[in-house]
Amino acid sequence: MQDKSRTPRVGLFATCLVDALRPNIGFSALELLRAAGCDVAIPKAQTCCGQPAYNSGDDANARKLARQVIEIFEDFDYLVAPSGSCALMIRSYPELFSHDSALADRARKLAARTYELLSFLVDVRGFRPVGVSCKASATYHDTCSGLRGLGVKAAPRELLAAIDGLEMRPLEGEETCCGFGGTFCMKYSEISDAIVAEKTANIQATGADLLLGGDLGCLINMAGKLRRSGSATRVFHAAELLAGRAIHAIGEETP
Amino acid sequence: MNAPSPPPEDFRARAKRALGDRNLKIALDRTTGNARTKRAAAVAAWPAFDRAREAAAAIKDHALQNFPYYLERFERNALASGAKVHWARDAKEACAAVIAICREAQAKTVTRSKSMLGEEIGLPHALAEAGLRRVETDLAEHIIQLAGETPSHIIWPAAHRTREDVAKLFAKHHRDHLLLTEIEAMVASARQELRDDFFAAEVGISGANFLVAETGAICTITNEGNAELTTTPPRVHIVTAGIEKIVATTEHALQLTRVLVRSATGADLTQYTTFHCGPKREGDRDGPEEFHIVLVDHGRTQMLEEMPEMLRCVRCGACLNHCVVYTKIGGHAYGGAYPGPMGAALTPVFDGLMETRDLPHACTMNGLCKQVCPVDIPLPTLLRDWRAKSFRRGFEPRALKLALALWAFVASKPALYRAALAVALPLMRRLGNNGWIAKLPFAPGWTNTRDFPSPAKRSFLAQVRSGEKKVGSGEKK
Amino acid sequence: MSARHDIFTALRRLRPQEFSAETIEARARKLARAMQDSLPPLECSDLCENFIARVTAEKVGATVERLAGWPDLPEAVARYAEMHGLEKEVALQPDPRLQTLDWTVFLRADAPLRPDSMLAVGAARGGIAETGSLVFHSGPEAPTLYGFLPLHHIVALEARTIVARFEDYAAAEQGQPQPRNVNFITGASGTTDIEGVLARGAHGPRRLHILIVG
Repeated sequence: MQDKSRTPRVGLFATCLVDALRPNIGFSALELLRAAGCDVAIPKAQTCCGQPAYNSGDDANARKLARQVIEIFEDFDYLVAPSGSCALMIRSYPELFSHDSALADRARKLAARTYELLSFLVDVRGFRPVGVSCKASATYHDTCSGLRGLGVKAAPRELLAAIDGLEMRPLEGEETCCGFGGTFCMKYSEISDAIVAEKTANIQATGADLLLGGDLGCLINMAGKLRRSGSATRVFHAAELLAGRAIHAIGEETP
Repeated sequence: MNAPSPPPEDFRARAKRALGDRNLKIALDRTTGNARTKRAAAVAAWPAFDRAREAAAAIKDHALQNFPYYLERFERNALASGAKVHWARDAKEACAAVIAICREAQAKTVTRSKSMLGEEIGLPHALAEAGLRRVETDLAEHIIQLAGETPSHIIWPAAHRTREDVAKLFAKHHRDHLLLTEIEAMVASARQELRDDFFAAEVGISGANFLVAETGAICTITNEGNAELTTTPPRVHIVTAGIEKIVATTEHALQLTRVLVRSATGADLTQYTTFHCGPKREGDRDGPEEFHIVLVDHGRTQMLEEMPEMLRCVRCGACLNHCVVYTKIGGHAYGGAYPGPMGAALTPVFDGLMETRDLPHACTMNGLCKQVCPVDIPLPTLLRDWRAKSFRRGFEPRALKLALALWAFVASKPALYRAALAVALPLMRRLGNNGWIAKLPFAPGWTNTRDFPSPAKRSFLAQVRSGEKKVGSGEKK
Repeated sequence: MSARHDIFTALRRLRPQEFSAETIEARARKLARAMQDSLPPLECSDLCENFIARVTAEKVGATVERLAGWPDLPEAVARYAEMHGLEKEVALQPDPRLQTLDWTVFLRADAPLRPDSMLAVGAARGGIAETGSLVFHSGPEAPTLYGFLPLHHIVALEARTIVARFEDYAAAEQGQPQPRNVNFITGASGTTDIEGVLARGAHGPRRLHILIVG
């Protein structure tokens, strides 16, 4: 539901992967949210949404981390994360607290205000980037959790369409899982590898300069495979391009 | 050609073997790719499909909500039609019931049309043990019977076999021993080969897609004609069916076939959708003298309590066709009667969670299975619930439990987390070279086949805290 | 305790009956109506045209000829036999609508139905337009095997017996006794079991030819 009238207070949930592996995505999110007229805070106490525990069936520890996220973020107007999978996890918190109605209630309230970044920018803020250019060809991978759990499909494309000079190329099997699956890629690495090999073959077949997406987990999985197969495709989170901060692609950080 | 070695016991080993099988990949890509394309076309031609899925789920849920009521009605009406109804709590009882009927009929030869429940309860093995000659009449089941294998897909049991494989099997086993090259000729050869058996069998065994409460009839949904040839000529027709196949009315059954068949093969209806109600009647020129229905629990009452949504399953196979894991490893790797997402949800019920916990774990949680399921089963949720059960029962490796506990401990203490990260990041960066890490000692699964990007020098939050954030735009590419 | 007892004990514990039979069945009817609000589209409003379009589609694979009346059947069947190089002899379903026709001018219509029959002629009870399905109810005039044994199956279908939807069929059958077999036959037998390639005549007829009467 669009909410363009006031300056909402947004708590930026960086996600543990962005925090540790690629801060540039966090800074990109920060800039985009500000450009969209939000008053952004970055709570320092944030760590992890609890997904690794949840997906491993460790509900107790998942609850522990969920409670922490609720406490830190429940007073904001919105929680926004540059990740469909983390946003979906947070929206799933009410299920974790079916035995605690007070917490379930707080979880439901937070869930209703939690968004993935790109869909927040478009669907809630009606935002489009202005004056951003990038003369390159790119292809887009839809994260499964964002796509099927949160309906994130049109928003990234609408945002990227506003970048001057960016040529979007369709990706064969753009909605097909890349094989990351959180703990799956570690536990069942050979199957994961077979899946990502097919995905990267499709990516390379587009001939695009850039691979873009909305979730760092998926992106590092695909980037790592592209790199190992000797591909020159450069990989960014869509937010980095949109914020004009797409300088060093994943793996291109100078030491 | 050497005899195939027996499949390795462990899921990972079976999956690895499957991943290395080039023929399997070709067969799987072709079969599941075809199925996906046809389903997509059928769905595109039906704008209200998603609403129909919800309505279908509601129809199944209604039957399950009133389980004893409808099952009792079914039994009453089946008995009134002259059928005999048998009940079985588990696989052993179910097989014993079937064998007893066969013995009573002094059967030597038994024809079978496809029944996944039969696979589930181990009926082929039981028939062999009882010294009965079992003739599989569904073409794919015929193929795998000749090959001595089990089904690898619930709709296309021989999905793992190429036409050359089939040609060799037929040349070896069919009466005329011809090596054929055309698929049409192979099908004609199977038709000829099985013709006499339809009429020689004393007993024909079928499954049932639906049990219709209002009439006591069972419904079979097939496309070859073998189901009717299996169930009409023999003196005795035995139906083996899970109790969850119950639906209220003929109308409901037909309404469900609309979403079922499109989801399975993309057709509007299969060639032969048949309702069978009781034995031969006065004036009938054909039909069995005896009609037996073996109703099987085998974990269904357990599922009713713990995972009722799974009982909606109409065995269409759409989830298999759209699963990134199934399409890579095929059906045999799952090690049970049912593969793919529905198999991962069901197999722990039949074979025990401890032995089968790989199945619900070997899933990326991408959600496509739920999206294509004609009765909207929340498969990812069911699989995650198995993971939670497995964790609670202590089946998960200690190393994992410790790692998760350690992670949660540190992550719930922000100051400690920051400090740990401040130490860990530079250490991890040491493993890297030029932005990439080629070898992660604690995650060989990743770096055996992929590079891992070097982490940042300082975490996002550390940079924010020290006010290092850069405002404004940097260089553009 | 018996298996039946144990199973029903468990079911009654987990799903105790809360409502009367009337309420339950009313709910069932309501759900069927809900499904009727989400139907796939029909191609055209004329039921016969719709039936023909569906049944002759490649994925169904039947052929169709329209005849003015029942008396035209024997000639049409003889023509079919000629076209497919078959003996001019058919196994005839014991349906009086077929039995009363004059076949002798065109072919022998007294062949018994056998596992290797080349050609059989049947008469359907009705048709379903949405899928192009023929409906048969088994009985003395319609043994099941006529639909499954012959290599070629020719079926007479009266145009006025075609209904639009499964729901229409179900409504018409309300309160009627259930036959031993109800066959919905949609096209010729087929299988895609080998490499997903469609082949016809797996066990049932390889060809289905429908003569729509009226």
